[in-house]
Amino acid sequence: MSDKLVIGIADMKVAKGEGMLVTYALGSCIGICLHDPAIKLGALVHIMLPLNMEAGRTNPMKYADTGIRETLKQMEAMGARRTRITAKIAGGAKMFEVGSSSLGNIGQRNIESVHLNLKKEGIRLLKEDVGGSVARTLLFDVNSGLGCVRSYGRAELII
Amino acid sequence: MAIKNYDELSSLELDTLREIGSMGTGNAATALSQMLGREVRITLPEVRIMGYNEAIEWIGGPEEITAGVLVKMGGQINGIMLSCQQLDFVNLVLESVLHQRIDDYGQLADMENSCLIEVGNIMISTFINALSGLAGMDVTLTVPAFTVDMQGAILAVPMAEYGGQSDYIMTIGGNFVFDNQEVPCRLLMSPDLRSLNALLRKLGVSDE
Repeated sequence: MSDKLVIGIADMKVAKGEGMLVTYALGSCIGICLHDPAIKLGALVHIMLPLNMEAGRTNPMKYADTGIRETLKQMEAMGARRTRITAKIAGGAKMFEVGSSSLGNIGQRNIESVHLNLKKEGIRLLKEDVGGSVARTLLFDVNSGLGCVRSYGRAELII
Repeated sequence: MAIKNYDELSSLELDTLREIGSMGTGNAATALSQMLGREVRITLPEVRIMGYNEAIEWIGGPEEITAGVLVKMGGQINGIMLSCQQLDFVNLVLESVLHQRIDDYGQLADMENSCLIEVGNIMISTFINALSGLAGMDVTLTVPAFTVDMQGAILAVPMAEYGGQSDYIMTIGGNFVFDNQEVPCRLLMSPDLRSLNALLRKLGVSDE
């Protein structure tokens, strides 16, 4: 696979027909693969935080709520149908165990927000690999709709 | 005037932060020298304001495995201090203290881990003590947390913590030099914006 499209933090990319979308080192962040199998259209969003409360809203892809909404909008503009789109997600880990502070909860809050927002948009969640304390690299094959999760010290996982 | 984003820092304010970084990492290097029983110097520290993805490239790519020691600051300065220990640094520490080397992070056992945590913790505490003495601000530190994983995900911790405030991350840190060999040890300080403003005011460089 030479045509690998890399998605950074707070970023999103779409591919149609063929192509591998990849996002590296998801910690508490979540990678959301959205797929319309009928037209082989896939998108991968890398969100960092659960809720967009920014006044300026300069970067919708940073947040679960606006990231999912904006990506669906772009997919629909490319011919995808809401009823066919399915989702697979990975990430939401707790990288550090820090006493009683709220630090470690961002991953969990991200998971909850992604679940909630997918439900709100009427998107079916097919598979997920979330939580725990490991970082994940997520690869998403737009043609087959299969995802692959790579972690340190753990076997590769197909989702 | 208080800044709302890291990229609004003036050159005087950046110089001040560079000075803080220089003093903090200098103290950390001295503490490290004493602990390892060998001379450790520090290169001129950099203060960098970077976008998320730029910061991850700067530290050496997202998937590279690294050991991270993280401490949260509280009290009058809120923020995160992070020590990212790449393999060269890990081996220098382990050789000096435990007389052994590793080829892979998988070889780290409890003894090696606590050694790395202690080194990270001492460097961070010394850095913060110097800073709090200079600024006359009380800073409390949590017990250090430790993980070995992809450095992109480790660096994303301070980013996510302050991501609601800014699209940039500020890092103050430098490289250590052992026996004329330069070893990248990334000691990163990421204060939240309010604390950064308070710190600059305390030091008298923020024009009200």
